[in-house]
Amino acid sequence: MNWRVLIAGAVVTVPLVSLLAAGFGRDPKLRSNALEGRDAPSFSLRTIDGEPFSLADAKGSPVVVNFWSTWCQPCKIEHPVLMDAAEAYGPAGVHFVAVIYQDDVSKVRAYLNRAGSHWPTLEDPGGRTAIAYGVAGVPETFFIDKDGVIVRKVSGPVSQPIMVTTLEEML
Amino acid sequence: MIPELGRAAVLLGLAACSVGAVTGMWAGKTGREDVWRWTRWMALAFMISIAVATGLMEYALITHDYSVKYVAEVGSNETPLAFTIVSLWSSLDGSILLWALILAIWAAVFAVKLKDSHPEHAPWALGSILLVGVFFTFLVSGIANPFERVPSPLDNGPGPNPLLQNHILMIVHPPTLYLGYVGMTVPFGMGCAALLSGRMPTSWARAMRRWMLVPWACLTVGIILGGWWSYEVLGWGGYWAWDPVENASFMPWLTATAFIHSSMVMERREHLKGWTITLVMATFLLTLLGTFMTRSGVFNSVHSFTQSPIGPVFLGYLGVMLVVSVLLLAARVDTLSPPTAKLEGPWSRDMAFLGNNLLFAAFTFTVLLGTVYPLLNEVMTDVQISVGEPYFNRMSVPICLGILFLMGVGPALPWGRATFSTLVSRLAVPSGLAVAIAIGCVATGLREWVAILTFALSGFAGAVTLRELTEPGRQRASKLGEPLLSALMQTWRTGHRRAGGYVVHFGVVMIAVAIAASSVYRSETEMTIREGKTKSFMGYDITYTGTERLDEPHRWSRVARFDIDKDGENLGQAEPRLNHYKKMNQSIGTPTVMSGLDEDLYLSLVQVDPEGKMASLSVVVEPLVIWLWAGGGVMLLGCVIAGWPTRRRREDAA
Repeated sequence: MNWRVLIAGAVVTVPLVSLLAAGFGRDPKLRSNALEGRDAPSFSLRTIDGEPFSLADAKGSPVVVNFWSTWCQPCKIEHPVLMDAAEAYGPAGVHFVAVIYQDDVSKVRAYLNRAGSHWPTLEDPGGRTAIAYGVAGVPETFFIDKDGVIVRKVSGPVSQPIMVTTLEEML
Repeated sequence: MIPELGRAAVLLGLAACSVGAVTGMWAGKTGREDVWRWTRWMALAFMISIAVATGLMEYALITHDYSVKYVAEVGSNETPLAFTIVSLWSSLDGSILLWALILAIWAAVFAVKLKDSHPEHAPWALGSILLVGVFFTFLVSGIANPFERVPSPLDNGPGPNPLLQNHILMIVHPPTLYLGYVGMTVPFGMGCAALLSGRMPTSWARAMRRWMLVPWACLTVGIILGGWWSYEVLGWGGYWAWDPVENASFMPWLTATAFIHSSMVMERREHLKGWTITLVMATFLLTLLGTFMTRSGVFNSVHSFTQSPIGPVFLGYLGVMLVVSVLLLAARVDTLSPPTAKLEGPWSRDMAFLGNNLLFAAFTFTVLLGTVYPLLNEVMTDVQISVGEPYFNRMSVPICLGILFLMGVGPALPWGRATFSTLVSRLAVPSGLAVAIAIGCVATGLREWVAILTFALSGFAGAVTLRELTEPGRQRASKLGEPLLSALMQTWRTGHRRAGGYVVHFGVVMIAVAIAASSVYRSETEMTIREGKTKSFMGYDITYTGTERLDEPHRWSRVARFDIDKDGENLGQAEPRLNHYKKMNQSIGTPTVMSGLDEDLYLSLVQVDPEGKMASLSVVVEPLVIWLWAGGGVMLLGCVIAGWPTRRRREDAA
């Protein structure tokens, strides 16, 4: 018996099969609470059209900050939910903001022209805002209340019920 | 009647396959010719039974027999005949039946081809292949039974997934990919045979390589056709998105490519036997992993079948095969004869092949990690994330450049140790060409280092390949005074394996250049044009001439017409469309691609207003895309040249 081969094989096999087994029955819309209850990191960025946007200017209103990219399939699944929510809750005073995560502006612009958007889309040079928010992957959405506190962070695409419940709580 | 007949044929196939697996192992153990003969008969019976089952399923699909569960799921009276036929692989249960059929065909061909050769190994190998067949046929007979009877059948069905009936490539892409995927079972069985018999003679190594070459070629073509399908159908002007299921087909291709190279070292230097067999096993296991990814519902992908109970069963099988493979390797790898010669280095072809294998292994690991990382992250932190293009591009670009470099260096180096003067004489011209290309690129205004490096290294690898391809012919012509062309033909004929390999390298160079150019220098825009008006982009004048509604039994389409001019010359009419599939309530676009040798114009219809007065479309101009598909064709040509049967091979077999 070649023990080196056996050990190397076990090192690959056991974690891989365990991981795949753990993948069954998982809810893909689980959320993390790490940043909830803290002040939202401030940021001042420019939109893809060159307009300035600062989180501080939106203080006093609920804000939804969505980190996304065009290469992310779950983001595209989420897009219609954001569109509906922005249409329904925008007039009620909720600000929707999208921050581009590791993507080309040209691709973003092309996608938004096709899919539409009711919110400013911000460039994030060097990913500094994503780092400040601890974004590990996209999509991630932060719900910030009128006082600038993160009340909920959703990793993965936000579902319609979670979107509606959270916005109703914030208003 | 079809449900019962189909099920009976599958059960017969399962019985034949099970008996064949047992007798194969028995024949391998005892060397009994009569038992080996039974194994071969069982392989043929397996193939005939599954072919009958598949034939019955096709008959049920074509005659719209909705008493068969699978037909009720994917059939429709309105679907055109060609897409009705191919709907065999449009859903889970049918695709597993196709899988079993292709495996049965591979097993039968193997049984016939190796009837009188390699008596020490062939029974073990066929037994192992049939053992894999038992699992897939078991799935078709039970948990993924497509022949289940529908108690109260309807008189029509929903039809196949619209994406799968939107382009003719769907007819060829999946079966080609399956031929490659499933075909990897054969070299796996041969690797098991080497381990079980404890011997790996050169003739068996050579046979293994040959049996790997055919599925490898099919997988190569299948992957490229998949990219082409995605390009022609999905409407975003791309051909590769690092989707989990794309990755699933790419990973076994990487390990199989590594195997093709390491098997040459094994054949030449009697070295890397354990590693080469590990690659064969990894290739097969990665095809199982890929199948699991597509069918378990654990991974999110446009290719995935819906969640099904097959996932846990498949994972159990994958786990068992992993454990069996590791145990077999650990227990038997030391019984293979030790190497007779040392690997020379560092400047030798041996070491270049070793380097290439390490890069392919690193590439496989990178892709595997990126594919399973979202799942790992979700399991560890309860957070679902998406690892997309940035990760894969950042990781794969340096590896691909390294492979391209070694593709040039490796063939230029001799087996064994190279002297400095050999190095200089063989690499001076290609290196000079690479530098000249890089300077030329910068001088013409290109600044993107990835593209420049790719073009330079492609020139380097292409020059070495051309030299290696023509050198023997030139030497022969000067030695024997033959005309150059006939000398070249003669050397290509006698050394067709070598020549075929270099032709494949040419294809890879073409693909590398095409990918670099089309991804780095792609331009895109969105525009809305009023009827009769013209808009310009990248030198193309696009005139919207109107729209039309086309009605077909299974869908209706909105076709927009655009006149395309470039530099005052009319290039013809583009007709991108939006297809609305009635049964699925889903709209799917069909872009128009106008391909040229230098660039493609890609038009995708986004929207047309109800009166047809305004059309919005996405326009992409991508350079050199056609060379990607052509490169795939050249790779296939190389495989055909390399795998062409010869007299020596027939002697080998005897």
